Amino acid sequence: MGPLITNGIISESTNLFLAFIIGIGFGFVLEQSGFSSSRKLAGVFYGYDTVVLKVFFTAAITAMLGLLFFSLFGWIDLSLVYVNPTYLTSAIVGGIIMGAGFIIGGYCPGTSFCGASIGKIDGMVFIGGLFIGVLLFGLGYKLWENLYLAKFMGSPKVSTSLGLSDGFFGLLLILAALGMFWVAELAEKKFPREEY
Amino acid sequence: MRPLKWLAIFIVPMGIIIAAVPQNTTKPYKLTAPQLLAEANNRTQYVTPETVADMIVNKDPSLQLIDVRSQDEFEKFSLPGAINIPLTDLLAEKYADVINQDLKTNVFYSNGTVTANQAWMLTRQLGYANNFVLEGGLNYWFEVIMNPGKPVTTSPDEEFARYNFRRSAGSALGGGGAFQAQTGQSQAAAPKPAVTTGPKKKKVAGGC
Amino acid sequence: MEETKEIKKTKYLNPYVGGVLLGLVLLAANFVAGRGLGASGAIKSVVVTTMQTVAPAASTGSGFVKEFHQSHEGNPMKTWLVFEMLGVLVGGFLSGAIAGRLKVKVEHSPKITSRKRLILALAGGVLFGFGSQLGRGCTSGSALSGMAVLSVGGFITMMAIFGTAFALAYFFRKNWI
Repeated sequence: MGPLITNGIISESTNLFLAFIIGIGFGFVLEQSGFSSSRKLAGVFYGYDTVVLKVFFTAAITAMLGLLFFSLFGWIDLSLVYVNPTYLTSAIVGGIIMGAGFIIGGYCPGTSFCGASIGKIDGMVFIGGLFIGVLLFGLGYKLWENLYLAKFMGSPKVSTSLGLSDGFFGLLLILAALGMFWVAELAEKKFPREEY
Repeated sequence: MRPLKWLAIFIVPMGIIIAAVPQNTTKPYKLTAPQLLAEANNRTQYVTPETVADMIVNKDPSLQLIDVRSQDEFEKFSLPGAINIPLTDLLAEKYADVINQDLKTNVFYSNGTVTANQAWMLTRQLGYANNFVLEGGLNYWFEVIMNPGKPVTTSPDEEFARYNFRRSAGSALGGGGAFQAQTGQSQAAAPKPAVTTGPKKKKVAGGC
Repeated sequence: MEETKEIKKTKYLNPYVGGVLLGLVLLAANFVAGRGLGASGAIKSVVVTTMQTVAPAASTGSGFVKEFHQSHEGNPMKTWLVFEMLGVLVGGFLSGAIAGRLKVKVEHSPKITSRKRLILALAGGVLFGFGSQLGRGCTSGSALSGMAVLSVGGFITMMAIFGTAFALAYFFRKNWI
């Protein structure tokens, strides 16, 4: 049955409309969880507010379980779902630069839109910065094109690379996430701070 | 700790279930068995050698001959423009775009029709269109195109037309002797199988 | 007797509940569109459109624009991500309105000035924008959605982002704590 667009069940325009609706859900949940606040977001790196860790990993394991169960019931064809490609060098270098941007700016693109939508000027400025950053990348593309395209490894899944089944790896991930949550809660008890 | 406990209590069993249950790797078949049987009974998958010969002679770009025999046999002899996909490799990923597309007319052929029909069955079951089988295979091809039997004088006109066509096609394709078709006789080439276009199932580009 | 040090709590959703809801949104995205969520891609669309509007001749030769068009056909603004981000703005606004958090302000630690915060936000944005192109996604597109489909690239990018942020946290602590 799913994904709906690749099986032709919905049209391209419906797909875009649903993108808008899904975006509303995305923004709503992010803001409700406090991701519109840069101080809350940065909190995970200092231990005083681990909301990022909890929401992020809970969402990842929920969606992952959801996809696996849907596939089990035959409701979705997982081979048609986009799996992010792996360009090894570019993934690491990009991640490092983004990590720096995160701790300095206190936002990521999705949450900055969230912050901007409730009036946070620092969120809006962050978005401006995003634009400049992407533009810089685009203008100088030739300089880093080789880095960008280096070490393409296809679209491997972690489970396959480790030789485990998707489900078994999913279980390991769940246990790892729960472990992290437990540690996070201990940290929060140790560094209590006013909630932003 | 309470919300975390609830989360753990709920999600860990789900994780265990999903880890324990074998993955559902069955691709839903696009055609049911009765549908497939009906098509096989109607012989809808067949393409006559005349049609194929006609397409080759006219250099029709939509034709794609696929030799489903082994590589050795392919190298010994193959039809013009044919590619080799041995039946054993038919479902390999690299050929996925060849057998599942809506631009060309794929015609499977083998020495007889058994292997070519197996290829057709497999691809049709997955719902792929535009795959056909060369009627009679290479054996019939040689008999008919390369060495057509002259019809007896009492045969109907269509037989003669077909014979003439076969001879000229055969000579164009390297068969025995030059042959001039007698004027005034219509070509008996059967109509080309229509290419059905459908939405091509592509993975969506995501990321960013 | 109340504790003298009371922790002020704002009315945010419980993070685990929020996480499950977000996971369901992500699941819906995969079910409907066969792809996960994302954010930086929308910015990429805007940049490509700007480049093409401002300097159409130059941008046709740009490798960046060409690479974009390889995977997106048609109008660069008419993409899934652009529509999704518009929805994010609406959704965030609705949520803020319901919770009474709508307020135009610069959020910053009391230890730094607004001005400094804005400069940091800009710098962070530039870095993140640049990095997101290399990483082929941001935390939403690459890390979150990537993890849900168990992509190796997604995991690697996620670990790089969080690892770097943790590593650099000490040097920027004055801006937050």
